[in-house]
Amino acid sequence: MSLEEESPTTSTTKTEQATGTPELRVEGISKQFGRILAVDEVSLEVRSGNIFALVGDNGAGKSTLMNILSGVHQPTKGNLYKGGEEVSFTNPSEARAKGIETVYQDLALMDDLDIGTNIFMGQFPKRGIGPIKFIDWETTYKRAEHIIADRLGRNIDIKTEVEFLSGGQRQLVAIGRALAFDPDVIILDEPTSALSVDATRLVQDTLNTLAESGITIIIVSHNIESVLTHADRIGVLFQGSLVDTYIPSETGLEELNEVMTTGFSSS
Amino acid sequence: MSTTESLLGIASADRDDIILTVLDNMIWPILAVVILGIFLTVPQTFRNAQAIRLILWGAVPIGLLVLAESLCLLSGHFDLSIGSIAGFSAMFTGMVLGTCPSCWGLTTNPWIGFGLIFLIGGSVGFINGVMIGKVGLNPFLQTLAFLIIFQGAKTAMQTQPVTGLPSTYTQVGASPVFAIAVFLSMFLLLGFILKYTTFGQAVYALGSSKKSAREVGIDTERLIIAVYTMSGLLSALAGLMLTGFVGVVPPLIGEGLVFQAFAGAVIGGISLFGGRGMITGALGGVILIQVVQSALNNSPAVGATQIQMVNGIVLLVAILLYSTQEKIRARILASGSV
Repeated sequence: MSLEEESPTTSTTKTEQATGTPELRVEGISKQFGRILAVDEVSLEVRSGNIFALVGDNGAGKSTLMNILSGVHQPTKGNLYKGGEEVSFTNPSEARAKGIETVYQDLALMDDLDIGTNIFMGQFPKRGIGPIKFIDWETTYKRAEHIIADRLGRNIDIKTEVEFLSGGQRQLVAIGRALAFDPDVIILDEPTSALSVDATRLVQDTLNTLAESGITIIIVSHNIESVLTHADRIGVLFQGSLVDTYIPSETGLEELNEVMTTGFSSS
Repeated sequence: MSTTESLLGIASADRDDIILTVLDNMIWPILAVVILGIFLTVPQTFRNAQAIRLILWGAVPIGLLVLAESLCLLSGHFDLSIGSIAGFSAMFTGMVLGTCPSCWGLTTNPWIGFGLIFLIGGSVGFINGVMIGKVGLNPFLQTLAFLIIFQGAKTAMQTQPVTGLPSTYTQVGASPVFAIAVFLSMFLLLGFILKYTTFGQAVYALGSSKKSAREVGIDTERLIIAVYTMSGLLSALAGLMLTGFVGVVPPLIGEGLVFQAFAGAVIGGISLFGGRGMITGALGGVILIQVVQSALNNSPAVGATQIQMVNGIVLLVAILLYSTQEKIRARILASGSV
C-alpha cells in the first residue's frame, strides 16, 4: 500500500507504532531528475533511538531518498522535519549541522592513514595561540580511542592503518567518524553488504548499542534478510513510492520480498 | 587456538610490524651502507669538512626539487616539470636582471628579482594545478607538456650563460651556510605543515583516496591547485639556489634534475601512489643522491660522460627497491597477521 494519500503520523502499519518520539519525519517528498520520478510522494517517520531500515530493489529510490535526507539532493517537493522542526538542506554540511550523519557504502576511508586520522579527517581538534592553530594529535587520538573503545566497545589500536582492518572493523571506523560529529541520526548505506557473517553481526551489535544510547539509525539496504533481525521497522520502497512500513516480528522474509519485487503483498 | 599457536600468532604479528617499520624507514640503513661503501672505495669524497659542506651545499637545489616532487607524490600526483620550472624561472629572471650583452637588463633591483622568480614559479605551478585539478588533465601529460614547453622557452630566450646578476640576488644560493639553512628550514616547514595542519593531512588523504577525500568534505580541486602552486614555488627557489651556486644562469640550468628528484623522493620512502611517506625520509633520499653524485665526481673509475648513465641506474635501483617494498607490504597485508 502506498502512503501517498496518508499523513505520516497515520501511516498504515501492521500493528502499533514503535516506541520513541519522532526524530525525523518526511512528508510528501518527491524527487524528479528530468523526466524520471525517482521518489514519489514518500511520507514516513523515524522515531528516536529506533533502527529504521529502508529497503527496495535497484531503482526503487532508496538511494535518492537517502541523499535527500543527507543533503546531497534537494527534494522537488515535500517537507522534511528533524525533531519537530522543518528543515531543508542544500548540502551535506547543513545536514551535518542538524545532527544527521551519513556513512556511505564505500565508507570513504583513507587506507594509508590510521584509524584516529580517518575518524577526525577534516575536523581535527586543534590548539595554538590566537588564530594560529595546529592539529592536536594527543587530543585527536584520545578522542578517537574514546569513540572506538567506549562508544563502539571495540579494542582496536587507533594508530593502526585502515588497510590492516577487516571489513567489519572498517565499517566501525566509518561509523566512528560519524560519531565524532555527535549526531542524532546516522544513515548507513548498505552497511553489511560484502561482509562475512561474523563481521555482519559485529556491525549489527554496534548499531543496536548506538540505538540504545538514543541515536536514530537509518539503514538503506537491498538485502531484507540482513535487516530483518535487528531493525525496529522496515520501510519498503517500490518504483519510487513507499509501499508500507512493517514491524519485523509481524512479517517475514517471504512477504517483504514479495512487496519489494511486486509492490504489493498477497498475504 | 592453543596457547602456543596464540603466542606464535603474536610473535608473527610483531615480526611483521617490525618488517613494516623497517620498510617505511628503509632509507636510513641504505644511506648508512652507501656512505660506508663510499668511505671504503672513494674516501676522498669525505676528505675533510670542506668536502662535506660542499656535498650539503650542492644538495640544496636538488633537495628543494625533492621536496616539490614529494609534495606532489604524497597527494597522489607527480610533477615532471619541476626542473623546467626551476630553469625557466631562473633564466627569465636572470634575463631581466643580468647585464650581459644579450640580457634584457630591465632592472638591477634584486628584490624585483626575488619577487619575479617566485611569481613565475608559482604561476606555472598554479596553471599546472588548474589544468590537472579543474580541467581534469592527466598529471603525466600536463607536466610533460610543461617540461617541454618551458625547457624550450628557456632555450629560446638564451643559449649563453647569463652573467652580471646583482650580488644580493646570487648571494642567497652562493653562501653555503645560508643556502643549507634555507634548505633545512624548508624541510622543517614542509614537514611541520604536512604533520600539523589540516592542509597537510588533506594532502595525505587526497593521495590515499581522492574519492574518499572528496566525500569527507575536502575540496580536492583547490587542494590540487595548492599542491602544484607550492611545487612551483619550491622549484623556483631551487632555480634561485642553482643560480647562486654557479654565480650565473647556465643555459642548461634545471635540465635532467627531475629524475634525480624522483629518485630522491622514492628512495626516501615517498609512495609513488600517494598517501604514504615522511618528509624526513625524503631528506635521507636527498643526502643519498648527493653523496652518490659526489662520489661519482670524485671517483677515478667513472668518467664525467658516464655520470648520467649511473644516475639512471640509481633511479632504476630506487624503483626496484620501492617495488620490492610494496610487494613485501602486500604479502604481509594479505597474510592478515598484523
